[in-house]
Order: sequence, then C-alpha cells, then structure tokens
Amino acid sequence: MVPVPRDLTSFDRVRLAAGTVLGDAAAWASRRLGRGSGASIRGQILTRVQPDAFRLLLRGRRIAAVTGTNGKTTSTHLLAAAVREGLGADAARLVTNADGANLHYGIASALAKAPKADTAVLETDERVVADMIAHGRPEVLVLLNFSRDQLDRNHEIKFLGRAWRDSLTAAGDAGPVVIANSDDPLVTWAAGAARRVIWVDTASTWVADAALCPNCGDLLTRENPSADAPTGRWDCPGCDLTEPQADYVVRGDAVELPDHTVRELTLNVPGKFNVSNAAMALAAAVELGVPVSKALTGFRTVRSPAGRFAVTTVNGVGVRLVLSKNPAGWAESLPLLETPTVVLAIDSVAADGKDVSWLWDVEFEQLRGKKVICTGPRAYDLAVRLAYAEVEHEVSVDLTDALRIASIAPQPVDLIATYTPFQKLLKMAGLR
Amino acid sequence: MTAPVKIVLVYQSLLGIYGDQGNSLVLAQRLRWRGIDAEVVVVEPGDPLPADGAIYCMGGGEDNAQTTAVRELTKDGSLFAAVDAGAVVFAVCAGYQICGQTFTIGETDEVREGLGLLDVTTTRGATRAVGEILTRWTRPDGSEYLLSGFENHGGYTHLGPDATPLARVERGIGNAGDGTEGAVQGRVIGTYPHGPVLARNPALADHLLGLALDRELEPLGRVQSVHEGLRRERIAFVRR
Repeated sequence: MVPVPRDLTSFDRVRLAAGTVLGDAAAWASRRLGRGSGASIRGQILTRVQPDAFRLLLRGRRIAAVTGTNGKTTSTHLLAAAVREGLGADAARLVTNADGANLHYGIASALAKAPKADTAVLETDERVVADMIAHGRPEVLVLLNFSRDQLDRNHEIKFLGRAWRDSLTAAGDAGPVVIANSDDPLVTWAAGAARRVIWVDTASTWVADAALCPNCGDLLTRENPSADAPTGRWDCPGCDLTEPQADYVVRGDAVELPDHTVRELTLNVPGKFNVSNAAMALAAAVELGVPVSKALTGFRTVRSPAGRFAVTTVNGVGVRLVLSKNPAGWAESLPLLETPTVVLAIDSVAADGKDVSWLWDVEFEQLRGKKVICTGPRAYDLAVRLAYAEVEHEVSVDLTDALRIASIAPQPVDLIATYTPFQKLLKMAGLR
Repeated sequence: MTAPVKIVLVYQSLLGIYGDQGNSLVLAQRLRWRGIDAEVVVVEPGDPLPADGAIYCMGGGEDNAQTTAVRELTKDGSLFAAVDAGAVVFAVCAGYQICGQTFTIGETDEVREGLGLLDVTTTRGATRAVGEILTRWTRPDGSEYLLSGFENHGGYTHLGPDATPLARVERGIGNAGDGTEGAVQGRVIGTYPHGPVLARNPALADHLLGLALDRELEPLGRVQSVHEGLRRERIAFVRR
C-alpha cells in the first residue's frame, strides 16, 4: 500500500502532522465539554497550522464525492458501506466523513485521521463542490438533487448549479464521472458539462423548484406521469435540454440496472427517498468497481446514518429521530410518521435557515388525526401552520418539556427536527 | 346558495418559493371559519386566469420567474380586467415588484416592464435586505397595528405619486431604507415581508377580506391565541 499523500515536501508533512496533533487535542477538549464530535474544530486548528490542509490531504486518494440539497449524509453512508463491502479485509483503506461534517474543515478533519486510507467517500457541501473538483480530482461525483433550502443565504437556487457546471467545464477531461439524478432539471443541466455522466431516474416527486429551464429560462413541460415516473418526463420546448435516458431506474423499492435486470434493495433506512439515494449510491459504487451484489449487501448495514432514523431514548422517552431541513425533505419525511402522537421541533438559527416561511410549503394537512407537539424556538410558527391545516396540536417551546408531554404517549414516539434541535437531541441521547 | 369566494393563487410554481402560498390559505380559512364558503384556485402559467376572483395573491420568486410571470399575465389579460372590476390584488416581494412600472433583473440590472398596477419602480439596492422586519400599519379606522415578517429582497422600491406606503418601518429595511414599506393603490396592495405575512398578521388578512367583500367582518375567536403567541414571540425577538 502506498502511503498518502506521498509527494509532499517534508515541511508540508511536518505541518500536517503538527496540525493533526493539535487538532486532535482540540477535538478531545470539545468532546469533553459536550460541544459535539469535534470534527470541525479539529479541521479548523489543522488548517490554521497548515493552511493548505484540505488540498494536501485530498491528494493521492481515489475520491468519490456526494452532494445535493437532501440525502447527502445517508447517500454517503450507503456508498461508503458498499465500498467497504467491496474492500472486504482491506476495509481500513476507506475513509469517510460519516459525521456529516461536510465543509472544508470537516473533510480535512476526517482525512487527517486516516493518512493511510487511499479511498475516500466524502459528503461534500454544495458550496464546497467547486473546490473538491479542483483540488480533489474526484473519480466519481454524485449529484443528488436541488431544491429550495436556507433561502436567507442561498438567494437563487440556480447559482449553485452554475458553480457546479463551471467547475466541471474547467476540469474537462480530468473531471469526475458524474452520477446524476435525471429527474432534476438543474442537476441535469449542471452535469451536462461533465466528461461522462451516468444518469439515474430516481422517481422523485418534488418539482416545485423546477418550473423554468435552467439553460434558457423557458417554462418546462412534463408529460406522461406514471407510477415509476410520478411527475412525468420533463422537457424544455425552448432549447435542447430534456430529461436524459436513464442508465439506472428506480422501480418501486427496486432498481433496474443498465442491463435491465431488476434488483430489490431491502434497505434498513425508511422511505422512497432513501430508495432514490441508494440507486444513486449503487451507480457510484459500480463505477468505483464494486460488484452490485456486494454493494447491496453493504447497503443493508446502514441503519441510522449520523443519527437519522435512530430509535433511541432521550430523557427517558423512547423516540425515533428524523431530520428534515427544507420543504422537499419534509415532503418525504411526513409520510414516514407512524405514531398517533408526534413531536415536531423547529428552530431558525443560521444552520436551519432564519426564515421559516417554508412551513407553508409543507403539506401538514396529512397529519390530521394525529396529535402534534410543537417544540423548539419557532414552535408558534408551526402551531399557526397546523391551526390552519386543522391539525390537533399543543405548543411546548422547551424541548425537555415537550419530551415530558410525549412520554405519556405509546413509545417510541416519532420526532422530526430541523438541524439544530436534531443535533441537540443526538447529544441528549448520547449519540454524539 | 351563493358561489364560493374565489381566492386566486397566481403562478405558485413561479412566484411561490418563500411559502407565500400560505397567504391564500389564511384568507380562505378565515372566511370558512366565519361560515362563508371560499375556495383557493391555483393557476399555473399557460392556464387561463379566472376573471371573477375576489383576491389575487402573488408571492416571491427568482429573477427569470418574474419576467416569465409578467409575460404570461400580460398575454392572459384577465388580471387587468379583474382589477378594473374591483378585485383585490395582494402581492408579496417579487410579486410586489412585478406589479410596478419597472423592475430590474440579473447582475447587469436589465430593466423590465412590470404590470403597471402600482405606481412604483424597483432597482437593485446597495445591500440585500435580509432579516426580520417590523412595521406600523395605520388601519382604516385610524388605529395602529404592528406588521411582522421576514424580508429577503435585493430590489429597492420607490413610490410614485399615485401609490401610498402601506406602513412605516420600525425595524428592517422595507421599500428602500427610506422608512416606508409596501404600497397601496386602490385595491392593489404590495408588500415585502414573507412569513407568510398574513399568517403573522391576521388583522391584515381580515382587512383584505373586508375590502373584497365590501363589508366589515366580525372578529374571529378561533386560532386567536396561537396568533397572539406567535406575534408576542416575533415582536419581542425583532425588538430585542
């Protein structure tokens, strides 16, 4: 096995090593203080000592990067599990940022912990994709989807798509093979600049952010909806952009492969969107040389990626934790709710998005018949939304109080949270 | 049996990225809860816009969506006929901008013609206005009501002589950092805040319904406490 990164100067090497030691110490302190996994602080300290850490640590590895608005963490776990299964006894050659820390610091932190791993599966924030392509030269790039998210700082959804497209164009023949969701017009447009694309028809249902052609601005048309293509094929009447013929196609809970055989996925993570995520991960795994059957075996080891869908105990109350961050995510997660009483936790600090108007883009009417406990700093915004949806609810802003109220219901109680309360709950459950 | 009051949601796929469709739901429910039949009609580009709507709602959207919406509404023509016949238009953010005479799009600030329903013009401001906003609205009876919401706009709007501001800014930017927020001209009302703004400010919703029905509506006890809880929390937050 080749030690990586191998072509560093000794000065770079010393600074990387020193930064890693200091970063480790900071991460340890952070964990001791109960401030989280410490991945980000480790990356920050490391980058202060070695400003080039992100670029240097990416060098000399086979990289698969995963990005998109929703499903990044779960898809990264699925792909990493497939690759791990493919490596068998050599599984230590794999590094991945399993904790969901997907900015420069988080990625550098994960890589610094595994200097000898020559294969990396990296969840990558949408805004870091351009740097990942330029500095990491990934072999495979998975583009999951695009939808409205944190509009208080991402004003135009198309802006990120253009950045992806530009960096794929700049990379040219040295760029990655892109695994792209053919149901998503903006992803399709961005991926069109790649040297090679594997298209996956994910049977997605969220179309609210794809009214206009990202290429020419004309109104997109959709035709022939069916069970496997619930929103129909999309096409632009004004230019050449059209839904590509897919190589992999989601069919119910199964995936049709390029050779037209259909394989059942039997995942241990719930929901149609995780079938889509798994189809994307499968295409990526095959591209990395993992046999289909090994990839499917690997998928079944994924149960609660970074705490998502974990059935656990918080303050003595049994709960199932679901994370949802934006309307497309909530549209997928609300149908998963199975219990008669549910807890919904809403916050609006920077990581959640400061504007919670998106609550009105979510069809909460489907919760009629259930009892909802509204919690988190924006519990009242949710309560007004539920009042107009005519859903029975109760407000308890404090998370601990809300859990106490939930404790009288049959357990585990289903709980959906935005990012910040979700992280709080993981900490309270001792899961991070 | 009278026909239901028609609330028309104009081009949700183009002018609906900030949850502003909630405004039409709030309007319809506040009628239904008073025993008045109401329906929300969602119209997409290419579909004919009904000319017999009581209230037409438009929300926020991106630059290209604004241009497309103006083109389609102009081609359709029914909105202008409805306004002439006395319909209420309630337009938020990008919807507010396109109701004006002109607005600009893109990094090169290309000028686009608006619908001309409001005597306002919009150009790109020095800094984008993003954050909680609180304004003071003087109601028809002279009393003051605080309007709270979340603004997120790059365009700054200046009022001409035929339009009057909807409210005065206490916190936030509003039209152009000049102390005014929104515009009113006849029965056309434009404003920047999302939230959606009618979910945050039920009195404004009832004002629109009163205009559309040409009568004062009795107070609505239902959902009042949850509205008060939200208003207390949001107003304290923006003032702290």
